[in-house]
Amino acid sequence: MTPTIELDGLDVQLGGRAILQSLTGVLTGRAIGLLGPNGAGKSTLINTLLGFHTPSKGTMRVLGLDIRRDSKPLRALVGYMPETDAFISKMTGVRFVRYMAELSGLPPEQAMERAHEAFVYVGLGEARYRAVGTYSLGMKQLAKLAQAVAHGPKLLILDEPTNGLDPPARKRFIELINEIREATDMCLLLSSHLLRDVEETCDQVLILRDGRIASICNLAEERSANRKFLEMETFGAEPAFASALETLGCECALFDNGRMKVVLPDSVEIRDVYRVAAERGVQIRRMNHRRDSLQDIFLNAMERSGGANGRI
Amino acid sequence: MAVYKRRYNLYHGPLTPEKSRFLVLTRYAFADLFRSRAFVMLFVLALVPILFFGAYIFLANNTAVQLLMRFRIQEGFSVESRFFYIFIVVQTQLSFLLNCWIGPVLVAGDLVNGALPLFLSRPFSRPEYVLGKCAVIALLLSVVTWLPGLLLFCLQAGLAKGGWIVSHLWMVIPIVFCSLLWILVLSLISLAVSAWVKLRIVATGVIFCAFLVPAGLGAIFNGIMSTYWGNLLNFSELFRLILMKGFRQDLGFTGPRGVEQVPLSAAWIMLILVCVFSLYVLNARLRAREVVRG
Repeated sequence: MTPTIELDGLDVQLGGRAILQSLTGVLTGRAIGLLGPNGAGKSTLINTLLGFHTPSKGTMRVLGLDIRRDSKPLRALVGYMPETDAFISKMTGVRFVRYMAELSGLPPEQAMERAHEAFVYVGLGEARYRAVGTYSLGMKQLAKLAQAVAHGPKLLILDEPTNGLDPPARKRFIELINEIREATDMCLLLSSHLLRDVEETCDQVLILRDGRIASICNLAEERSANRKFLEMETFGAEPAFASALETLGCECALFDNGRMKVVLPDSVEIRDVYRVAAERGVQIRRMNHRRDSLQDIFLNAMERSGGANGRI
Repeated sequence: MAVYKRRYNLYHGPLTPEKSRFLVLTRYAFADLFRSRAFVMLFVLALVPILFFGAYIFLANNTAVQLLMRFRIQEGFSVESRFFYIFIVVQTQLSFLLNCWIGPVLVAGDLVNGALPLFLSRPFSRPEYVLGKCAVIALLLSVVTWLPGLLLFCLQAGLAKGGWIVSHLWMVIPIVFCSLLWILVLSLISLAVSAWVKLRIVATGVIFCAFLVPAGLGAIFNGIMSTYWGNLLNFSELFRLILMKGFRQDLGFTGPRGVEQVPLSAAWIMLILVCVFSLYVLNARLRAREVVRG
């Protein structure tokens, strides 16, 4: 299977300053989150992908196409929703989306049809004949999404898509993104500083820091890897209980006040823990599945100085 | 994806040829322009002189009508290079006014709300964008300059007798190329201005200033230095010089020191420099605005 994005020693310099440095890595997820603090190089990476910046060294392949050699064919496969306002204020919504679809190569009739469909799809059907300049912020975001999907791209790039949206609008937007991801084989590249947005929509995350890769993390793997990590509050627990769990293959750590941390191997289920506790007369008063949230992953990546290309 | 189903589907249909895709910009710009009644009126007004020039050709070649109107044959009624020179001068002046209406909004509308990245994130390059916008001005101004010029030439060739077309065929070159040169200068200057000035009225003023202010400065320079090299800043004058040379007209710039006009080659170089400078300014502006700053 062709990786979604392959970074091959990518360097980008702007005004003589290195913005992206030696980015190397393979992203295979269908929905990739792009995370990093301000100035980390997220937008520069997107702009390089779109051909706005030329790499000073190395290259990047997107859906198997090299950004240096195949910039135009690559842009034909991409739908881009920029972070900032991007519209022609006097045009009606549907005409604006049709215009953009025609620029992507759709014949006028098909572009018109797709523009209507895209508008209805994002939930702006009623407002499609209004000038885009009169839209609210949330509607403008949806109009930007409509123009990004109208021509049927294979990769949808969303740059801070939920910026400025109120909570219900944000929820609706995230649902829409998930719907697009599930209903089609379209790949997503979502750049956001909102970890929750990325966590809810992406299955792989690229974390940038100071223009370098701080981490490439597969969220799905991360979730399953941490599924067997338990935090418990017990009453009557003694080292013998811990030893009994260890004989099952668990790793245990006992703390004050009956608190325990247990790492379960694949062969051991939670019901086995309850069974051993019952046999030993130990009360389990609280049990937590703890898994690393994206926030933990992000903070870990930020703490690692130098930002190696390794996985977490 | 049918509207009522509210489902997303990929597009698998045909695509338009990449090479002619810049015309999408042109088509949409035409639609916007012709929605304005004021523009339609101005455009029609720019076409009116063509009727008079056409009527003149008809009269010049119709002895019966001349007799009826009691004009004396061979007096004043001749369709020679002077006629076409005047025609092109009149129409280029009108095309300048037309350009002042069209030019200011062409690029500004895309820049004002950051739409440019949407254009250029598609399989569509910056030169294609400029070409698409230039084509708007070029096509409209062609309709009022060299296209009717050729039509009038054909009309005269059809009505005249005695191998007129053979002896005057050379005039096709100045009709077409001088008009195209003027259109190129106008379109690049107005696109460059449109990229920098958002408000239409201000942009129109700046386009006027781009022609009048350097011309005024050139005249002052000429006055102070007692020279004619200041004419290099008068773009209209430079164009007129090229046009006169093209139509083999008497330059009439002789003074006490002989010919008092810049050389033809200097006029060409100056107009080419104006085009290159306008392109540079336009490119710098578009380059700066095509990227979304994160």
